[in-house]
Amino acid sequence: MDSLIYILFVCLIAPLLLMLFMLRNRSRLLIGYMLIGIFVSLFVSELNTILLNLFSGDMLYVTTVITPISEELVKAIPVLYYAIVFSDDRDRVLPIAFATGVGFAMFENMVVLVENIESVTIGWAVVRGFATALMHAICTMAVGYGICFVKKKKKLFYCGTFALLSMASIYHGIFNMLVQSDYKYFGFVLPAITYIPFLVQNLSNVKKEKKA
Amino acid sequence: MNYYLISNLITCLCALIGFIYGIAEFFKPKKAVYAQMITLAVGCVVFGRLYQMVRLITAGDISNEFQLGILGVIGSLLFLFSANYGAMDSLADDGSKSFAKYRLIAMTAPAAAAAIYVVFILICDFPLLIKAEAGVIAAFAALASYFNLKHLIFPDVDYGVINCLKAYNLLALIFDFLCIAETVAVSYNNELAVLIIGIITGAVLIAITPTVKRGIMKWTA
Repeated sequence: MDSLIYILFVCLIAPLLLMLFMLRNRSRLLIGYMLIGIFVSLFVSELNTILLNLFSGDMLYVTTVITPISEELVKAIPVLYYAIVFSDDRDRVLPIAFATGVGFAMFENMVVLVENIESVTIGWAVVRGFATALMHAICTMAVGYGICFVKKKKKLFYCGTFALLSMASIYHGIFNMLVQSDYKYFGFVLPAITYIPFLVQNLSNVKKEKKA
Repeated sequence: MNYYLISNLITCLCALIGFIYGIAEFFKPKKAVYAQMITLAVGCVVFGRLYQMVRLITAGDISNEFQLGILGVIGSLLFLFSANYGAMDSLADDGSKSFAKYRLIAMTAPAAAAAIYVVFILICDFPLLIKAEAGVIAAFAALASYFNLKHLIFPDVDYGVINCLKAYNLLALIFDFLCIAETVAVSYNNELAVLIIGIITGAVLIAITPTVKRGIMKWTA
């Protein structure tokens, strides 16, 4: 089964990698970070297997307590790298954080698909596609917000980023817990409820910029 | 009747109102990062409590093993600490010897946090997990409470902003100690105490963001 995950990884990453060389500036950055998100997801899928073994195969505990922390930590690393090395401008960091989260979710969905190939349906794909992608993207973006202070205000950066990582891990944990319970529909709706205010604010900002 | 669930529900709802108020007031262009961090501190409580509630509803128990809900408390205390230490403290305290007595008096808050932890948790017969969790919360509460008490007593002669935020610092100081008190109550499995602390915490959290708003308005007026 592992090899199938790697086959999917190559199938997904190869065309995007080829496209990357044809793109410029912001588009290249976003697709590049989506690719990094996919790679991070592959790494995390291996890490999760190790963690699951460490916790005696207790899937519910690991997915609701341990993996939210490990996944949020690993997803934040490439965003932090960009903020330190290239730019900590919020308008650049937040979109790449979102792209990393989306890339991560895309590959995670493939891993789950491979593991549950017998039971998946179109409905599963629609729900998982929207809910998981949004959840990962929102969590990484929230951490990215704190990372923006890496050069400007170091005192805020250290504590703020740790606190935002905590917040993102809890949010991730709530989502994982809900989707595995009898209340899974609340879990599917949760990321959408969180996404709508961001979307509305972003659209109103675009409108204001156009007017200006 | 599950007192833990009711306590978490009350605190979560109150914090949610405070959080939404903070988002609406402070998450606009050119608004103070200080106020945004306090709003996020309240937001951390919302998520932490929501996690505890979902865990209680879906799995039934939260006391036997490490839970993510504790990160909500740590996150909120870190935001409160970070807001004062990172954004506000340097405006008032230039590190001179003339302010040494205020720094010394402010040390009584972390000392009290440490004393509560040692007397009620550390020297008692609790499992290591409870001691560790309570220790971490007490440590972060001590950090936040030092600056909350310091800014409550500090004579802000240059800018005056800290004088305007004294009411907020008092509420935040109460919240810091409520976090420790709740950990103690949960450790002793005292459901009624948990419920009372939950109600007081909710009342404090609902008032924090409007108090910050009032303080900032007073300063800018």
